[in-house]
Amino acid sequence: MIFLFITSGLFLGWTLGANDASNVFGAAVGSRMVSFTRAAVIASVFVILGAVIQGSGASDTLGRLGSVNAMGGAFTVALAAGLTVYFMTRAGLPVSTTQAIVGAIIGWNFFTDNAVDTRALSQIVVTWITGPLLGGLFAYALYHLVKIIRKRIKLHLLEYESYLRTGLMIAGAFGAYSLGANNIANVMGVFVPSIPLGEADFGFITLSGAQQLFFLGAIAIAAGVLTYSRKVMQTVGSNLLELSSEAAFVVVLSQALVLFIFSSSALSGLMVKIGLPPIPLVPVSSTQVVVGAVLGIGLYKGVRNINLKVLGSIASGWITTPVAAGLLSFFLLFFIKNLFGIEVGYSVNPPSSSGDGLSIAVIIRYSIIILLVITAVYLVYLVLAEKKKTESINKKYYL
Amino acid sequence: MSLFTRTTKELTVRIDEFFDTIEIGILIFKEGVKAYVNGDKDVFQSHLAKIDEMEGRADKLQRSIENDMIVHSILPQQRSEIVKLLWQLDEIIDTAKGSLNEFYVEMPHIPSSISRDIISLSEVSANAAEELMPAARAFFREPHLVREKLIKVYFFERETDKAAFQMKKKVFHEMNDLSLAEKAHIRYITHHIENISDSAQAAADLLASMAIRQML
Repeated sequence: MIFLFITSGLFLGWTLGANDASNVFGAAVGSRMVSFTRAAVIASVFVILGAVIQGSGASDTLGRLGSVNAMGGAFTVALAAGLTVYFMTRAGLPVSTTQAIVGAIIGWNFFTDNAVDTRALSQIVVTWITGPLLGGLFAYALYHLVKIIRKRIKLHLLEYESYLRTGLMIAGAFGAYSLGANNIANVMGVFVPSIPLGEADFGFITLSGAQQLFFLGAIAIAAGVLTYSRKVMQTVGSNLLELSSEAAFVVVLSQALVLFIFSSSALSGLMVKIGLPPIPLVPVSSTQVVVGAVLGIGLYKGVRNINLKVLGSIASGWITTPVAAGLLSFFLLFFIKNLFGIEVGYSVNPPSSSGDGLSIAVIIRYSIIILLVITAVYLVYLVLAEKKKTESINKKYYL
Repeated sequence: MSLFTRTTKELTVRIDEFFDTIEIGILIFKEGVKAYVNGDKDVFQSHLAKIDEMEGRADKLQRSIENDMIVHSILPQQRSEIVKLLWQLDEIIDTAKGSLNEFYVEMPHIPSSISRDIISLSEVSANAAEELMPAARAFFREPHLVREKLIKVYFFERETDKAAFQMKKKVFHEMNDLSLAEKAHIRYITHHIENISDSAQAAADLLASMAIRQML
């Protein structure tokens, strides 16, 4: 019975593999620096390692957003998120499993009359903004650094490319590990409270109940990578911006760094030690980080290199994904409960009139903030791009 | 991975060898024209044989580089451009060899009054090609230096055009003792010597755009 309920989580893992995990190697495969097969194998192995070894950190935050307290509810929430990601992936759009699962959990909260922890939600939503911003920032700085190093070391182009290829695979493995550690919460996090498993001793290693779930989820992610990620890899790598091998390396490294920052409890602890606020350990949308990184490189290169149409379609996915997943979750819960008579959860924390829970006003407030940030980023982008364009034209005529 | 690095190193050496071959070919061309104009037939024959060998070696290297780049999926994004560049450079040595062959087959009569002009035309045209080689080498190691190195190529190409124009004018306007066939023959030979700098310019244009893309 447990396995039946878990299938939706496995399906979600499969869609994550097909979509989000491909972001790790999308730039490398899109630029034809690493073959799809090699990328898929590396990504699969390291996603599993990351999920099992370090996967529990971010699932706490999702648990705070909504602790799905019935197996039927967990099944439906994961199914809603999985279906949303699957259909958007089929449309060739890089979507975020993080946003889909958050939308689906909020749908569960509304259906079961549970309050949404706005603090947890705000932490997650903040990463929706800081993730791509950091990705862009890292990519811009790293790309600049790579260019300087290239100028200084005077390596032959062929040797340089050889190092880049190796670097891409190492950064990709690091990115896949961080993705597994960070995003496994999206796949299996909702099942942890409702499926209490005992420890499993394999002789050489002992896995906790959560780790066993994470291992199964990671296998599903690996299956998604191997069977269905090729199309999205090509979308990320080629359609948004023509990526050079250097740019591909920078995108992969930036994404890996951002995911690492939001997954590492050691780094968060270090921040506290030096008197800074801790880094929230939350599931980050790897899609957004990659888009931010690609945009950062686009800013460095100039506006004419960016396919704004693809960028626009990706940005629209940021809004449609959580909304679609939330609505789908709500309606699926209704059908599962009333049609099949399966328990999907109960209220343990009803929204209070004092405004602790998620209200329409809060949703509107967050939406406005997100829109303002997107507009500001877009304006800065246009100004910088125009500057680059002018410089480039001057350079061309000068030659 | 070690196999890949070895392939890369071998390929790097072969690309450098290809450039060396083109450079030597250009030098041989200059010496060959000089020998022909000075009537030194044995030396000319020897240069002709050498340039033929160099051209064959360049062709072989060009094909093997292209083949290895495809087989080992090296520089997938720039590969077509690099292959085009190698083809364009090979075109220079092909043209140089073709010119010397024309001297050999057609044995044009070069009056002593323009022998100096022919030699300097071949030198300035070959200079354009010679100056291209450091730029081509720089593309692989220091792409930011390509642009400044190409300035000399464009300069010598313009100088070649000027020298050829002056010589043709001199032949058709001042050398009335030559028959029209002889004049046309000299014009034809001049045109072929000019082709070397034209090929160098075409390669320079390609190199410039490749370097800009590398710099972005």
